[in-house]
Amino acid sequence: MKTANKENMSKSKKVDKEQLDDLYQFTIKHFVEHYDLQTELVDHLANDIESIWEKNPDLPYEDARDKAFKKFGVFGFMNAVEQRQKAMHKRYLKFLWTELKQWFTLPKAIKTAAFFIIIYVAFTSSLFSYFIFAFYGVVCIWSFVKSVQLKRQFKRRKEVSNKKWMLEEIIFKQAGGSVLLLMSQLPSLYNLSDNLFTNFYFILGFSVFSTLFFLWLYISFLILPQKAEELLNKTYPEFCV
Amino acid sequence: MANNKLYKGSLITIILKLLDEGGKMYGYEITQKVKVITKGKLKITEGALYPALHKLEADGMLDVEVEKVDNRLRKYYKLTEKGSKETNSKLQELQDYIKTMQLLVNPKFSLD
Repeated sequence: MKTANKENMSKSKKVDKEQLDDLYQFTIKHFVEHYDLQTELVDHLANDIESIWEKNPDLPYEDARDKAFKKFGVFGFMNAVEQRQKAMHKRYLKFLWTELKQWFTLPKAIKTAAFFIIIYVAFTSSLFSYFIFAFYGVVCIWSFVKSVQLKRQFKRRKEVSNKKWMLEEIIFKQAGGSVLLLMSQLPSLYNLSDNLFTNFYFILGFSVFSTLFFLWLYISFLILPQKAEELLNKTYPEFCV
Repeated sequence: MANNKLYKGSLITIILKLLDEGGKMYGYEITQKVKVITKGKLKITEGALYPALHKLEADGMLDVEVEKVDNRLRKYYKLTEKGSKETNSKLQELQDYIKTMQLLVNPKFSLD
C-alpha cells in the first residue's frame, strides 16, 4: 500500500515555482538572454525533469536538470539561440522592406521623388563635393545621435519590464549597424575621381543609392522604433507584450 | 539504434508530418511522439529540434500560441496554410527519395 502511494506521489511530482525561477536563471547562465526563447526552453527542461522523476523520483532537482540539459548536446542552447537570431533578423528585414515599399507608392512616393531630385541636382552642381560631404556628414551625425537615443530608450524599457525580447533588441540596439558600415566607407569618397561626377550614369546611380540609404536609415532609426509596440505585439501575440 | 545521420535530412519533413496529424504540438511533445512512433529507434535531439522549429516559424510554415499549463507557459506550434502545402510537397519528395533508394539498394533484375 505504502509503495503504491509513493508511486502515485512520484508520478505527480512537478517542477515548482522556485525551480522554474531557477530554470530561467539556468537558461540565462547558458547565454539565452531573451524571454521568448527562455520560456520555451524552461518548459522543455521542466517537462523532461518531470519525466526523469517519473522513472527516478528520488533524483535531486539539480541532477535531473543537468541530465535534461545534457540532451541538448555539447553546444547546449547555442544552436537554438543562433537560429532564433537568424529568424528574428529575417523578420526585422521584412518589416523594414514593408516600410520601404510604402515610400515608392503614393502618396509617399512624391516625397521620395522630391528628395531624389534635390540630391540629384545637388550632386550635378559645380559644388557637388561640398554637397556630398555635407549630406553624408549630416546623416552620420544624425544617425549617431539617434543610435545613442535608442540605446537609452531600450535601457529605460528594460527597467520597466525586466524582460528582454529579441526583436526589441534588434529594433533599438542594432539599427546603427549600417551607419558603422557607412562611416568605414566614408574616407573612400575622397578617392573618387572628379571625372566620375561628370558621368551621367554614375551621378544617377549615386543619387539613387543616397536616396535609398537615407530611407533605410530613416526607417530603421525613426519609423520602426516608433512602431515598436505594434511590431512586438505582431511578433509575439502569444505573450501580449 | 538507428543511424541518426540518415534521418537528419528528413527532420523538417518529420516535424511537418507530425503537426499535420497532431494539430498543435509543443517541442517536448514532438520529441516524445517521435520516440513512441519509431519505438525508440529515432530520437530527435533537442539541439536540432528547436533550430528547425524556429526556422519553420520564420519561413511562415508555423504559427505559434502560448498557453499557461500547470504553473508555466507552453509554446505550441501549428501549421499555417503555407505549412500544410509544404508538408504535402515534402512528403512527396521523401517518398520519391525512398523509391529511388529502393531501386539502388534492392534492384529488381529481369531478363527483359
